[in-house]
Amino acid sequence: MPRLISPLVLALVGTILFGDGAYIHAKAWLAQMLLERAFDRSVATGQPVKPWSWADTWPVARIEVKRIGASTIVLEGTSGQALAFGPGHLHQTVDAGERGVAIYAAHRDTHFRFLRDVAIGDVIDVTRSDGKRFRYRADSSAIVRFDASGIDPATQDFELVLATCWPFDAVTSGAERYLLHATLIGDGE
Amino acid sequence: MSNYDTVDSNEHPWLGRLVKVGLFLLAQGIAVLLVSFVALLVSFAPGWSAATEQASLLQPGDAKSGSLLLKDDGAYIEAIRLGIDIDITVSGPTLRTRVTQVFRNPTKDWVEATYVYPLATDGAVDTLKMVVGDRIIVGDIKERQQARAIYEQARRNGQKAALTEQERPNIFTNSVANIGPGETLLVQIEYQEPVHQSGNEYSLRVPLVVGPRYNPAPIVQSVDFRKDGSGWGATNSDPVPDRDRISPPVLDPAKNAPINPTSITVHLKAGYALAEVKSHHHNVKIESPDSTTRVVTLADGTVPADRDFELTWKPAAEKAPSVGLFREHVGDADYLLAFVTPPAAEQTAQKPLPREVAFVIDNSGSMGGTSIEQAKASLLYALGRLQPNDRFNVIRFDDTMDVLFPTSVPADTAHVGEATSFVGALQARGGTEMVPAMRAALTDKIGDTNMVRQIVFLTDGAIGNEQQLFETITAMRGRSRIFMVGIGSAPNTYLMTRASELGRGAFTHIGSVEQVEERMRGLFAKLENPAVTGLTAKFSDAKADVTPAIIPDIYRDEPLVLAAKLDKLAGSLEIKGRVGDRPWSVTLPLQNAAEGKGLSKLWARRKIGDAEVARTLHEMTPEDTDKTILALALDHQIVTRLTSLVAIDKTPSRPEGQPLKLSELPINLPAGWDFAKVFGERPQLTPTQLRERRVDAGQPAARRLAPVTPDAIRLPKTATSAELKMIAGLIMIVLALILFVFNRRQHLLTDAA
Repeated sequence: MPRLISPLVLALVGTILFGDGAYIHAKAWLAQMLLERAFDRSVATGQPVKPWSWADTWPVARIEVKRIGASTIVLEGTSGQALAFGPGHLHQTVDAGERGVAIYAAHRDTHFRFLRDVAIGDVIDVTRSDGKRFRYRADSSAIVRFDASGIDPATQDFELVLATCWPFDAVTSGAERYLLHATLIGDGE
Repeated sequence: MSNYDTVDSNEHPWLGRLVKVGLFLLAQGIAVLLVSFVALLVSFAPGWSAATEQASLLQPGDAKSGSLLLKDDGAYIEAIRLGIDIDITVSGPTLRTRVTQVFRNPTKDWVEATYVYPLATDGAVDTLKMVVGDRIIVGDIKERQQARAIYEQARRNGQKAALTEQERPNIFTNSVANIGPGETLLVQIEYQEPVHQSGNEYSLRVPLVVGPRYNPAPIVQSVDFRKDGSGWGATNSDPVPDRDRISPPVLDPAKNAPINPTSITVHLKAGYALAEVKSHHHNVKIESPDSTTRVVTLADGTVPADRDFELTWKPAAEKAPSVGLFREHVGDADYLLAFVTPPAAEQTAQKPLPREVAFVIDNSGSMGGTSIEQAKASLLYALGRLQPNDRFNVIRFDDTMDVLFPTSVPADTAHVGEATSFVGALQARGGTEMVPAMRAALTDKIGDTNMVRQIVFLTDGAIGNEQQLFETITAMRGRSRIFMVGIGSAPNTYLMTRASELGRGAFTHIGSVEQVEERMRGLFAKLENPAVTGLTAKFSDAKADVTPAIIPDIYRDEPLVLAAKLDKLAGSLEIKGRVGDRPWSVTLPLQNAAEGKGLSKLWARRKIGDAEVARTLHEMTPEDTDKTILALALDHQIVTRLTSLVAIDKTPSRPEGQPLKLSELPINLPAGWDFAKVFGERPQLTPTQLRERRVDAGQPAARRLAPVTPDAIRLPKTATSAELKMIAGLIMIVLALILFVFNRRQHLLTDAA
C-alpha cells in the first residue's frame, strides 16, 4: 500500500512533534508535584531537599497568589533544565525578604502563565525554604528587553520581580520580557 | 472504518462521494489557512529572536572596526606591520628578557601605533629603548600621568616617541608616535624575572598574546535609566574601568592569516649540568655548547604570537639542588635571593585528614575549542583521585552557574559517577562571571574542622575584573585553600598566581591535553601532602627587609623563594618551619652566596606585589599603597601601574601640517580558542552601546568613552517551544488525514471507473 506510506509518516512525525510539545507541559506539571513534596520536606527539616535524586537544583521558595489560586515552587538557578521544572531564582539576586531585588523567572506558557491574570494590587505570598513567609503587593508591570531590564539590583527597598517572556500568546521566543514588580508589605501570617 | 466506508459507498454511491469531496475541500481550506498562519509566524521569528540579533551585532568585524574608525581622523589605516623578537638569557636563578617590537609602516601616512601585549606576571620591566635609524634613544621612568603628558607633547610636536604603560601586572601597552611613511621603528623593552622551580624541574614562561577578556557589565547605582542618554557617565562602579585599554582588536583566524610573527632565542646558562630541556608548545632547535649551557631557537624561524612559550629544564644530577643563595650589590645595599626546597614530609603512618574539595570549572565561551577538553580531562582525573572518606562538590559557571549538589557529598561511587556525567556533558559557551562561582565555592556550608577544605578552580582566567575576584577571595576565604589550574594556550597567569596566593594555595598550568595527567598529578601531590607551615626567616647579623614579609605555607615540591635587602652581607640566614608535624630548620651562611644579576629589581617587584596584596587585604590604605609603590618604582626604575617608561626623540620628524593617524594593532586569537564562542555570544557590547558608537562614527571629533551598559541583570529565556511543536504536530496530523482521505477518494474514483 505505497499510497498509505506518506500520510502514515506524516501522521507519525506529527504525533511525535505534538507529543514532544505536550511532554514539556507534562514535565512542567509533574515536576511541580514532586517539588511540592520536596519543598514541604525542606521547610520541615530546614535542609535543602532535592526533588529527585539526579536533580541539579532544589526548591527554594513557594510563590502564591491567593486571589487567583495560583501556587508554584521556585528552584535555585535559571539554567534551561531548571526552568523546565519550575520558576528559577536568579542566583545573583537576593532571597525573598532581603534588602534588594529578588528575581524569579519562569516560562510564560507553563509556570508563570498565571502572571497575565495578576492585577496590580494583588497580594503575592512568598514562602522561603526556611519556612519564613513574606507578603508582597504587586505595584507595577513593565515590558522590557531581556538585556535592559531597568532593574536596580542595589536598591535600598525590599522588592520582588517576577519575570517571564512577552507576549504571552506568542509561539516563538523573543527578546521582550514581562516584569511584575512587587514591594514587601510585611511578614506573612 | 475502511469496511464501513465501503459499505456506505455501496449503499449511496454518489451521495457518499459528494460528501467526501466536500469534506476534502473543507479540510484543504483549513490546512491552507493553518499553513499560511505558521508561515506568518516563522517570518516574524528572526525579528524577535534575541539570539540572532545579538550574534549579528557582536561580530567584532563590525564592532571593533567601529571603534577603530573613531580614532583621530576617522579613517581606518591599512595595517601597520609588527614583528617581534624575544631574546632570553637565563643566568642561574634569574632571567633577563629583551623584547624587540618592529613597527613597519607601509602606508603613505604618518602613523601612531598602539600594541597591547602580555609579559611575565612577576617580571620587572626596567628598560625602554627606541631605535630610530642608527640612533638609540633610552627611555626614562616617570609617573604615569607625567609620562603620558610628555608623550602627548612629543606626539603633537611631530617627534618620534615611545611609551610603555602597565595595564595589569601582566598586560602592557606600547604606544609609538610619528612613524613616517615607509619607515621602520624599533622599540625594545627589557625585564628581569626569577626562574620558576617545582620539584626537580625549572621553567620559564613567555606569554605572547593577551587572551580576549570578558568584562562584566557594571552595576550602576542610583541612576535613572531612561533612554534619553542622561544616564550615561554617571557610573562609578564599573568592575573594569579600563576595559578599552585591555581589549585590542582580535583577528578572526578563519578570515585572516596569523599575524605578529615572533622569533624566540633562549640562552640557557643554568650553572649546573643540564639533562632534559623541553619546549612544551613550540618546535625548537636546541644546541649544547657545553654541559651547563643550551641555546634554544624556534625550529620554524618565526611563529605567530598566539600562545605561551614554555620551556622547562632539569639538572643532570638526580636531585635538583635544594638550596640556592645569590647576592647583588646595588648602591649602598646588598640584595639577596634565596631558594630553599624543604624536605618532603615522610609518609606518616597516620592517615592524612579527609578533605572537602569544591571543584569549579569554567565553561564560558573563551574555554571553547581545546581548552574545555583540557579542563574536563583535568576535572575527571581529579574526581578519580578522591578517596571514599572525602567530600566534594562540583560547580560550573559561564555567565550562569550550576552547583551540582546542595552541599558537599561523600565521594562514593554513586556521587562520583553523577559528577562524572555532569562534567562530561559540559559545553563551552557564554560569558565569564567568575565572582559568583568563587563565592559559591568559598561558602563553607559544612564547617567541619576535621576536614581540610580545598577549592580546585579550573579556568583560563580571561576576565578583566581580576580585582573583584581578589576582593571576593579575601572577604570570604575563611579556612578554604584555593588551588588554581590555568587552562589553555594563553592563560591569565596574573590571576592564577594572585588568586592562589590570596587563597593560600598553589597553582599549575595545563597548556595541552598531554600535560593533564602529569600536571594534575603534581597538583594532587600538593593537595594530598601536608604543607610546610609556620615558616619564618631570620638574619643573624644583617638588618633585612624581607619579602614576602609573612611567608606563605609551602606545598610539596615547591621551593621557598625569599628576596631581601640587607645593610651588610654578614652572618647567616635561618629559616624555620614545620614539615607536617615535625620542626624543620636550615641555616645558610651569607658569605657563600654567589653573584646574581638584577636581584634588586626582583626584590622591588616583589615588594610592589606585597603592597598590592596588602591593599587587597585592607592592611594598607590605597593612598599608602600608592606611595609605597611609587617610591619603589622610581627608586628601582621599573614600570608599574603608577609609573611608565617614555622615550622621546629630540628632533621633530613629522613636518608640520601633516596629519597623524592612529592604528591599534590587532592581535591573534590564542591558539585553540573558538572565535565564534568568544565573540558570537559574549555580551561585550549591548545593542544600545553599539548604536551609540555608530552615532559617534558620524561625528569623528566626538570620541568619547565607550558608554557602559547600565544593567547587570539579564533575564533568562522564558518561553518553551511547546506551543510551536504542538501546533506543528497538529498541522501534520491534519495534513496526514487529508492525504489519507484524498488517496481513498482517488482509489474510489478509480474503482468506480
